[in-house]
Amino acid sequence: MHETSMVRRLIEMVVQEAERLGGEEVSVVRVEVGALSGVEPMLVQLAYDQLTPGSRLAGSRLEIEVVPLRARCAQCGVFEVPQFHFTCPRCGNSRTVVVSGEEFRLVSFDQFTKPGEPQE
Amino acid sequence: MTEVIAGRARVKTVVLNRDVNAPLRGRAEQLRQEWTRRGILVVNLLSSPGAGKTSLLEATAKHWSGRQGMQVLVGDLATDRDAQRLAPWAPVVQLTTGGACHLEVPLVERGWHELPSQDCRFLFIENVGNLVCPASHDLGEHLRVLLLSTTEGDDKPGKYPKAFRTSQMLVISKTDLLPHVPFSVDAACADARAIQPDLECVPVCARTGAGVAEWCAALERRRDALLAGRTDASG
Ligand SMILES: Nc1nc2c(ncn2[C@@H]2O[C@H](COP(=O)(O)OP(=O)(O)OP(=O)(O)O)[C@@H](O)[C@H]2O)c(=O)[nH]1
Ligand SMILES: [Mg+2]
Ligand SMILES: [Zn+2]
Repeated sequence: MHETSMVRRLIEMVVQEAERLGGEEVSVVRVEVGALSGVEPMLVQLAYDQLTPGSRLAGSRLEIEVVPLRARCAQCGVFEVPQFHFTCPRCGNSRTVVVSGEEFRLVSFDQFTKPGEPQE
Repeated sequence: MTEVIAGRARVKTVVLNRDVNAPLRGRAEQLRQEWTRRGILVVNLLSSPGAGKTSLLEATAKHWSGRQGMQVLVGDLATDRDAQRLAPWAPVVQLTTGGACHLEVPLVERGWHELPSQDCRFLFIENVGNLVCPASHDLGEHLRVLLLSTTEGDDKPGKYPKAFRTSQMLVISKTDLLPHVPFSVDAACADARAIQPDLECVPVCARTGAGVAEWCAALERRRDALLAGRTDASG
């Protein structure tokens, strides 16, 4: 299971950015997991729950949004890819381009502000 | 966006939209450029355990018998058995992942610097036997080759879409067993091409040597194309 090493990298990213922004506690971390990202949402959650206690993100919550796999046909436009068959369902064109669903992305996180920190 | 919690503490949302694997991918891209500059075609070999990666590399080295300089980085969970098998045929460095189910760029980079020479035509990276995790890791290779052996069943492409989608070549291995197993080379290739239409399919038998010459010729063509692309880009 390689989710562990990827989630470790995710945690490092959040911690680094949270420190840079004052180091206050992080409450929520949001990620997008594509259907063809190569990581399993359930295993990402499991790795997060195992790795965060004892880290700077202890007590934070992970929110996962699963992104469906979509491809674009030059003639017919964007379609949802069924069963990983990338052929365009309208015209049979096999040279389609994936537009979403390959990402494992850190979208955002919520961090407590310091007393007196200006609000945006 | 701010939000009031418990009347006092406030929370800010920090938007990053950052790919978790971007740093490693950047490193892989740098390695790829270095290998391109040196004229080395780098091949990442993926398959399930025992599909015949090491056997194919042995057969490849025998076929070329020193005419094409090749070196090997071989990934394994724990042992150096594959490196020992390959050592009589080509310079090889063992990459021990210590239990990890796939290779990552830093380990490959270290292995690359441990090779006896930085001068060769082909560098093979034998990944850990696994069709899932290695598919998500760019190692800086030019060519990703997926081996599917005839004993695994011809329905595998649709079951491991990421591995097939990210490969450019499909080697059907152990073709000597075709008379004994229900496996259709055409069906496997068609299933794979529904996922990756540009996949080049090459049936090979490392045991008898059938198809090895074609496989080696395909690699030489790919390297020629890499070198040609290089001159185009610089001229
Ligand atoms: N019949 C037959 N057996 C083969 C062929 N190629 C490899 N084998 C056998 O398949 C088994 C596994 O081959 P390896 O080359 O070790 O496979 P591998 O993919 O390197 O295995 P791992 O590194 O452990 O994932 C060995 O017993 C080989 O002798 C072939 O072309 N025909
Ligand atoms: Mg092997
Ligand atoms: Zn179409």
